Amino acid sequence: MDGLEVTASWYLILAAALFAIGVAGVVVRRNALVMFMSIELMLNSVNLTFVAVSKDLGLIEGQVASLFVMVVAAAEVTVGLAIIVAVFRKRSSANVDELAELKG
Amino acid sequence: MDAIDYHALLPEIILAVTVLATLLVDLFTSRKSFAAITAMIGMFASFVAILTLAFCDNLTFCTSTGDRVLFGGSFVVDGYAIVLQGLFIFAGFIVVLMSVGYLETDRYYEGEFYFLIVSAVLGAAVMASSRDFISMIVALEIVSGSGFLLAGWRKGDARSNEASLKFFIIGVLALALLLFGVSLIYGLTGTQVFSEIAAASSSVEDIALFNLGAIFVLLGFGFKVSAVPFHFWTPDVYEGSPPPVTAWLSVGSKGAGFVGLLSVCYLALPSVTEIWGPVLWLVAALSMTIGNIVAIKQTNVIRLLGYSSIAQAGFMLAPFGAAAATGADLSQTFSATVTYLVIYAVMNLGAFAVVIIVGTRVGSYELERWSGLNTWAPGLALSLAAFFMSLAGIPPLAGWFAKFVMFSATIGVGSWWGYSIAIVAALNAVIALVYYLKVLKSAFFDTVPADLDVATLEAGTVPGPTSFAIGLTAAAVLVLGIFPGLAANLGDFSSDFLATLGL
Amino acid sequence: MTVTISEFFKESANWAFLAIAVPTLFAGWRTVTSNNIVRAVLYLVVSLGGTAGLFFMLGAEFVGWTVVLVYIGAVIILFLIGIMITRAPLGQEADLSHAMNVKAPAALLSTVVFGVITWAMIDAFGNNMIPPFEPTATSDLSLLLFDRFVIPFEVVSFVLLAALIGGIAIARQDEEVVS
Repeated sequence: MDGLEVTASWYLILAAALFAIGVAGVVVRRNALVMFMSIELMLNSVNLTFVAVSKDLGLIEGQVASLFVMVVAAAEVTVGLAIIVAVFRKRSSANVDELAELKG
Repeated sequence: MDAIDYHALLPEIILAVTVLATLLVDLFTSRKSFAAITAMIGMFASFVAILTLAFCDNLTFCTSTGDRVLFGGSFVVDGYAIVLQGLFIFAGFIVVLMSVGYLETDRYYEGEFYFLIVSAVLGAAVMASSRDFISMIVALEIVSGSGFLLAGWRKGDARSNEASLKFFIIGVLALALLLFGVSLIYGLTGTQVFSEIAAASSSVEDIALFNLGAIFVLLGFGFKVSAVPFHFWTPDVYEGSPPPVTAWLSVGSKGAGFVGLLSVCYLALPSVTEIWGPVLWLVAALSMTIGNIVAIKQTNVIRLLGYSSIAQAGFMLAPFGAAAATGADLSQTFSATVTYLVIYAVMNLGAFAVVIIVGTRVGSYELERWSGLNTWAPGLALSLAAFFMSLAGIPPLAGWFAKFVMFSATIGVGSWWGYSIAIVAALNAVIALVYYLKVLKSAFFDTVPADLDVATLEAGTVPGPTSFAIGLTAAAVLVLGIFPGLAANLGDFSSDFLATLGL
Repeated sequence: MTVTISEFFKESANWAFLAIAVPTLFAGWRTVTSNNIVRAVLYLVVSLGGTAGLFFMLGAEFVGWTVVLVYIGAVIILFLIGIMITRAPLGQEADLSHAMNVKAPAALLSTVVFGVITWAMIDAFGNNMIPPFEPTATSDLSLLLFDRFVIPFEVVSFVLLAALIGGIAIARQDEEVVS
């Protein structure tokens, strides 16, 4: 197979687009689970950037970095779901803006 | 691969063993306090290990020639790392001391609580030594992750749940921004190690993307240190969390964010000071002003301390932003920031220890319920006065020296960046005095609320561990205030290594 | 050397890129706009699966499989469990998002973020060619992981441990503990 004509920037622009979609999601969503899914989208775009630039550089540290990002993200999912379950148990809603105990 | 210098890693290894030991002790013993004792013994041992690293054979601080560099420069034990590791372990130790009494007031999970505190201390300690982005971020995530969980530790309290969820969403968003910035910087320099990034960044041609990466990294850390305008979550989280956790968040967790910010700015991004200098200058000015002005209106002591900690973060950033914006010598301001951080940590922990005792006794953190504190607990009122005066910067308490170092470093920059922020800081020091004194006025001069029974309040006792924590921090505040050279030594020791970098 | 549109479409690998990238992007878009929470999760699966495909194209096979196993296999399941536990309605749900008035600023913010990053990226990486397809040996990754990155590797295990233990303590149902 000869070289792909796709340039590194194609991957990076895709990553930028996914990141921007994630940012929009965090702003638009009010359900904590779905907000968190938008943040997962952003973290996924980080992984894509890491792997694409490391391919561009001809290095593999970027791939190792993306593995760490994934493990950290998985740990945060555990933490996040535990917290969402605790919140839900107390007030039967996972919507962030209905949390009004604290003055804000 | 070279042989590993296990002595350099000893404090972290001891902390890691302590994390596991705390969990196991809690599993196999019925007395909950054993877990706390294990945690404290482990942290003390780790502190001793740090001392063995800090002092050379002749009992003087090692100079930067004695730095231990491991794993290709990604893990370094130098004066800076040692001072901050010591600080984090001290903070963890005090927080455990004040938690013992607090957790007994209600039926909390205790073993897991101490387990998470020691984990967070481990993360913060690794952060202080980390000199590459991946180690730093992974370590930062132990601090943040355990912070999210600890914030929600009052499971039956909707405010605590809410604090936890807010903190989590903001924290993970900050992580995503930070990582995106790191991925861009990595793409341009081909390395994660700070010193290599600094070396490569001068030859980076695509400066726009590099700047963008730096901005994303600063955004991420801006959330972590709760600097204005990324501070909005702080007072809510501080108020909702169990108070000992708030003490940890305002010192340990925030301190870890500062360590990240300092390391990244000084070690990885010295070539773009014209980007982060003015940004930090502005953030410092805003944090001081907004933190202080909003603090005046607060009626809840914990929220007040939350806003006060935002303002204090502004003071810490001031010299740092001014010097970078000017392009001046950075080592003087680095030393000032570390000195301020050390003193702030000690006095803020002390203030929290007293506030927790009074708050539990009165059953409320609303200031109006605290009036007349002096009549039923003169000792507590006096210690409260000592810590709040210190936070306000009144001699001979340690806080004045922190302010002094900050002002002299800021003015010493010798440019309008420095002079102007020194004026902002001076005005803010006066504003801050207003609300610290407001609390003390209420405690000393107002009458006890009619529905509070003075006899019951007087009969209450301060739990032994908490009084030890108050005594320890009060002694430190006095000693550092009267012999400020000690704190200055720590600051200088921590900035020694900058000389070797030619900063 | 620049790639013109016509040249771009001559190459089959470019078709492959587009065939993966377009659904990935669309699914990402639907994840943040869908009013059905379960569909939002399933769109997230498609988006993550698409990225895994791109990782294979970039030769990062190990990373790609990790995405499939960890993200699609575990994280998504956790999300679904979270949805079931919080008894979120499985059909259409009107209140997943804020009211209409945040959508315009969000779209604007998103466009600005995308525009700025893309501009800077094209500035930096404009026409760099991706080196020929050759998978990275997993052994190279692991050598790096256990040498240079051994500290974060050890530390990340404590991240997971803290998340697990703390998560259990927070999520556990116990009426009698804690007032």
